[in-house]
Amino acid sequence: MVQQSSVSCPEVNQLSITTTSTPPTRKGGRSRRVNLAVLVLKRLGFFAVAIFSVLSISFLLIALAPGDPARVIAGSLATAEQIDAIRADLGLDQPILTRYFDYITGIFTGDLGTSYFSRQPVITEIADRLPSTLELVLLSVGVAIVIGVILGTIGGYFRGRWPESGSRGIASALQAIPDFFFALLLILIFFFYLDWAPAPSGQLDILITPPDQVTGFVPIDSLIAGDLEAFNNALAHLVLPVLTLGLVYAGYFAKITRSALAESMQSQQVQFARASGLSEWRTLRYGLVQIRSSILTYAGIIFASLFGGAAVVETIFSWNGMGQWALDGILRLDIPVIQGFVLVAGIITLLIYTLLDIVVAWLDPRISYGN
Amino acid sequence: MATNTEKKQSNFRDFLQMHKFAAAGAFFIIVLILASLFAPLPYDPEAPNPGVGISPPSADHWFGTDITGGDVFSRTIAAAWIDLSLALAGTFLSLIIGVPLGLLTSVKKRWSDNLVRGMDAFQAFPLLILALVLVSLSGNKLYMVVVAIALINIPRYMRLIRSEVLTLREARFMEATTAVGVPLPRALRKHVLPNVMGMITAQTTLTMANAIVVIATLSFLGIGVAPPTPSWGSMIRAGSSNMISGEWWVAFFPGLFVLLCVWILNQLSDAISDFNTRTIR
Repeated sequence: MVQQSSVSCPEVNQLSITTTSTPPTRKGGRSRRVNLAVLVLKRLGFFAVAIFSVLSISFLLIALAPGDPARVIAGSLATAEQIDAIRADLGLDQPILTRYFDYITGIFTGDLGTSYFSRQPVITEIADRLPSTLELVLLSVGVAIVIGVILGTIGGYFRGRWPESGSRGIASALQAIPDFFFALLLILIFFFYLDWAPAPSGQLDILITPPDQVTGFVPIDSLIAGDLEAFNNALAHLVLPVLTLGLVYAGYFAKITRSALAESMQSQQVQFARASGLSEWRTLRYGLVQIRSSILTYAGIIFASLFGGAAVVETIFSWNGMGQWALDGILRLDIPVIQGFVLVAGIITLLIYTLLDIVVAWLDPRISYGN
Repeated sequence: MATNTEKKQSNFRDFLQMHKFAAAGAFFIIVLILASLFAPLPYDPEAPNPGVGISPPSADHWFGTDITGGDVFSRTIAAAWIDLSLALAGTFLSLIIGVPLGLLTSVKKRWSDNLVRGMDAFQAFPLLILALVLVSLSGNKLYMVVVAIALINIPRYMRLIRSEVLTLREARFMEATTAVGVPLPRALRKHVLPNVMGMITAQTTLTMANAIVVIATLSFLGIGVAPPTPSWGSMIRAGSSNMISGEWWVAFFPGLFVLLCVWILNQLSDAISDFNTRTIR
């Protein structure tokens, strides 16, 4: 018989985790710990190599792509001399190997270049915007997990009955809706018609003075400053963007939870729990524990992909986060900005994948890494 | 005994009967493409009509008009061709590169492990941003949209096929083909490929759905298909500022069509994988 893999959720297979078909046996604590240590070292080694390749590829990709930033900056009326002057000013007249070498050595000294447009060091621009995006993405993934897992659990538990088709229907509608369109619909309903949410004007109303920057997270900073008005306002501004991303991605969590739980509820462990007369709640909990590593893996992947994927929603809500910054950079061919974004996004993604590999191996003794 | 073509036809008929809903959806998309190519539209989709201005849906303009007086219905239908054909091209390109690569990497196990690890590094790129960079640095060339879609999806095909073939390789019939000395390329084509075909079909409809979203997102950001050529993404972009002041119809209808197409393709993919599972058992 051909084994069916879960075709519809290819992302889950992204990490090369293989579940062995042998029944789980607890290995001796010692050798398991040694294995885990070897795994951690291997993954960290891979992490270093991967970061370096992400950097190199992003440099080459952007340096070799057609399109001339000097021309874009100069505008359409500039003379050839003016364009040449700008090119020399930006260092674009240097040979590509020199530029590559400068770029890599710059990174090790914390110098990511300066934006062609704002003339600010890229590293300060990142420091300003990273907290806003982290705040948005963390809350959104949290909302997505809660809603998605509840929805999926209902579907997976009541397999073959009407709650399953309900859960399926909602999840597939949420999965099909493009996030930017959903954001606009939420703005129309909750801002224009109901007037429950503030205008999509960023993280605070324009009339409210932002609190002193301590952590960079506006709600936390306003609490530190003791400014309750700003705190409430910041929360109100968070609702729609978090709801947009949270609901759209809840569809994915619902789908993965439903199919994994439906399977785990048929497992021998759950059947045994049932046969022993344990309460339904408890058997359900056993079923959920079995699928926790898939949900965790999925959460990590979505968190990483949202880092750039939130760009459009950030733009709609004028969030002024990393994604919006990268988008503006791309539209203006601001190469240091694009490279800075790729660097940060690459580091975050690889960091998450590395952590996931380790945490999942620690959580689930069935996983082998083919050593 | 049924011949091969008869078997395929009855397979197809079985599918239509088992998944009427998904089949109806596929029919809708085909009709939509044909309509945007051949159907006479009530208004010229690319001509502004300043005399009308922005107006809500009415008997004259079924989906209303946008700020330039363009008829939203005509534009929405006309946009289907460019959006869906770009998505099809991107899907096709990922398919013809991703599938052979996936098969190859699953055979040569030694170096393919490293290749797949390399793919992980590639996936670490924020893919939407990558697509944006490619298209905008190339000076907004439409073929770069297709390339970007392929770049995003080729690694997905490779992973999927590889994980499937690695289990298939252990199967008895593969052992048998090796034992009787079937050369590897032939074994791949005649014995492995048919076994993963169903999964590839299911993945292809998903890729198509994903491509539609990518294209709409790009043109929503003003990259890729540029006005006055109507595309769903750029229409939503044009209507997004109207949304805040309550003129919902400009962005709503193109958005609805994106949603419908993506939803149909997702359902189709589910139906195909469900069909595969049942016919195999």
